[in-house]
Amino acid sequence: MAYRRLLSLLQRRGEVIPHFQQKPQHINHTFPEHTNHLYHRSQRAIHSGTPLMVKLLSVDELFARSSLQEHLKQIEKEYNECLHVVSGNVTEDERRDDEMRTKWTKVSLLAPLIQTIRELDKKQKEITQTEILLKDEDPAMRELAEMEREGCLQDIQDLRQKILDLLITDEEADMSDLVLEITAGVGGQEAMLFTSEIFDMYQSFAQHHGWSFEILDHMASDLGGLRHASASISGPQSYKKMKFEAGVHRVQRVPKTEKQGRMHTSTMTVAVLPQPTEISFTINSKDLRIETKRASGAGGQHVNTTDSAVRIVHLPTGVVAECQQERSQLKNREKAMKALRAKLYSMKLEDEISKRYNQRKIQIGTKGRSEKIRTYNFAQDRVTDHRIGMTVHDVKSFLLGEDLLDQMNSSLQEFSSQEAIMELLGKSNQEGS
Amino acid sequence: MTQGLVYLAMWRRTLSTNHRCLGCRGGGLLKRVWSAHSRLVSGAPALPADRITALQAADLWRTRFEEEGVTEPEESSRYIIAHVLGAKTMESVEPERLTEHLSRGKTEQVWQLCTRRLSRMPVQYVIEEWDFRDLTLKLRPPVFIPRPETEELVELVLTDLRRKSGPGVGSESGQTCVEVGCGSGAISLSLLKSLPQLRVFALDRSQDAVDLTGENASRLGLRDRLQIYQADVMKNAESVLSLCGSASALVSNPPYLFSEDMASLEPEIYRYEDPAALDGGEDGLNVIKQILTLAPLVLSDQG
Repeated sequence: MAYRRLLSLLQRRGEVIPHFQQKPQHINHTFPEHTNHLYHRSQRAIHSGTPLMVKLLSVDELFARSSLQEHLKQIEKEYNECLHVVSGNVTEDERRDDEMRTKWTKVSLLAPLIQTIRELDKKQKEITQTEILLKDEDPAMRELAEMEREGCLQDIQDLRQKILDLLITDEEADMSDLVLEITAGVGGQEAMLFTSEIFDMYQSFAQHHGWSFEILDHMASDLGGLRHASASISGPQSYKKMKFEAGVHRVQRVPKTEKQGRMHTSTMTVAVLPQPTEISFTINSKDLRIETKRASGAGGQHVNTTDSAVRIVHLPTGVVAECQQERSQLKNREKAMKALRAKLYSMKLEDEISKRYNQRKIQIGTKGRSEKIRTYNFAQDRVTDHRIGMTVHDVKSFLLGEDLLDQMNSSLQEFSSQEAIMELLGKSNQEGS
Repeated sequence: MTQGLVYLAMWRRTLSTNHRCLGCRGGGLLKRVWSAHSRLVSGAPALPADRITALQAADLWRTRFEEEGVTEPEESSRYIIAHVLGAKTMESVEPERLTEHLSRGKTEQVWQLCTRRLSRMPVQYVIEEWDFRDLTLKLRPPVFIPRPETEELVELVLTDLRRKSGPGVGSESGQTCVEVGCGSGAISLSLLKSLPQLRVFALDRSQDAVDLTGENASRLGLRDRLQIYQADVMKNAESVLSLCGSASALVSNPPYLFSEDMASLEPEIYRYEDPAALDGGEDGLNVIKQILTLAPLVLSDQG
């Protein structure tokens, strides 16, 4: 479904080819590395066996689309109308108070975008002027014009990027921290070993970005694998990046436990739950049942207990969180509470998110548990992300959770931003027709 | 008029004498064994001939504890082994280490510590430390082991002291707090750690407790805002008053068990913990009454 939609969006590019051809030099000039990069990537993707269905469009390509241009015009029109109303050209009696307020909010929201669009227009006029100077007889003048043009092109590039960034609004949850939950899937001990490696990978990834990584719960298996674990991650952009990691990860290799050298396929699941701040999400303490050793009877000076495990049940939903990571009961309770908040918050968000992102290929947000997102193939020494058909090599380095993972994560983010814009354009097209 | 801020820990429960303690009172009341070595422990398992992993050791000792009726067999063996591995809980040890063979030295250490536990020494004394809120405290007999409920008592005191000091900078600089019966220093040190301007007077009748609180304070770098005195509120009420007048708050986890219940405590408690920290007299209120009598005199007008 999502595929088909995206393809139809891409096909519509045919309409704008004349526009596109007017400035082909922009692409060659400003994006040589980028094109190269794309080429490189599609080369590598051949290994995965699946054809690359979509490619990442450059900023120029996006701007060459009439639908984007129309969308921007539409916004400008809307802005002007609102401005017209709030600046008092229409008599007050005609407009109700709250309507005025909505218009005001809209004006202030759109203002930075409109300003950037106007700057871009100005720069584009400048560039036409310098292009005339390029044909001047004086070579010194031509050189000057060439330099000026370069500068303009760079500015245009920056302004376009800024417009795109302004078009994509952040999710409410993008500002939050998160709870990472990983669970071994199909494949027994081998799946648990892999789960442990993935857990380490994210721990290093957090360290790489300077985020804090606090283990909430850690259930090891007998052979050094991991059945289940969760951790609280916080730091700038942590959720914004980690949300792309949620889903089923698959490993293909000859397990350490395998005697006959056969290749196995195992899976593990990553869930990324946004961690709400105290203010944005409250839980009524009456809804909680906190179970500790004490609750079972004696307490205080009568007994000496080392059992500091805490289990919290949220009665209305039956959601449970447990922690026995710490020796202090209070700290266990704090950690269990953190996990519980994240679980409840993600349940709350899941509804709206699934509605909003149903159509998108990159399942962002809470669970996306069912979809296989990435394969780690040791025999071919590659990691392939199935959502964008991207492959990188060197599984060992990837599992270090540093540059390679970051590189893949950034591509997912770029791709997702683009999908958001496409969705926006698709919507405005529908409204227009 | 003095509005006293007095915090007393209480856990009211009438202990029925047949509760727990299956036949472990044979040796008479309050028989205390200070050192595990002095008591002959029946049937500590022999050191294994082959090398074993941490998980196997944990399993072996859990079974042994179960057979001997040691309370919390699973927790006990896991905490002790985690401690030997340099961690706080087994859950926080890297999984691969649990399946590696223990070195000879570590195995011997596990056997030595678990054998102590077999004589019903509390885990906290066996590994000589425990966590209280965000502090790790050194613990040793017979100084009272802080209970989890007391973590919540500290929470209450903190909330009130923070509210009273208000949000203004430096306004809490004058705050002082008195703790009666500081034991290992758990309450006082938690307060000092969370309120960087607070000063605390900690009292205990036992020299062991005074020493241990001092040690813990030094280890945690909180010694400079803490004054510790060896004093008994029951006997030297006057010297207590002269030492620490006009405090903002008074906090205590005084002994509150009924004397008659002392006999039915678990061996962990009656053999190893100082009965003076538990026995509150016939109605459990001996020390509590005395503290409440002194409170108006110790607390400042704003206290």
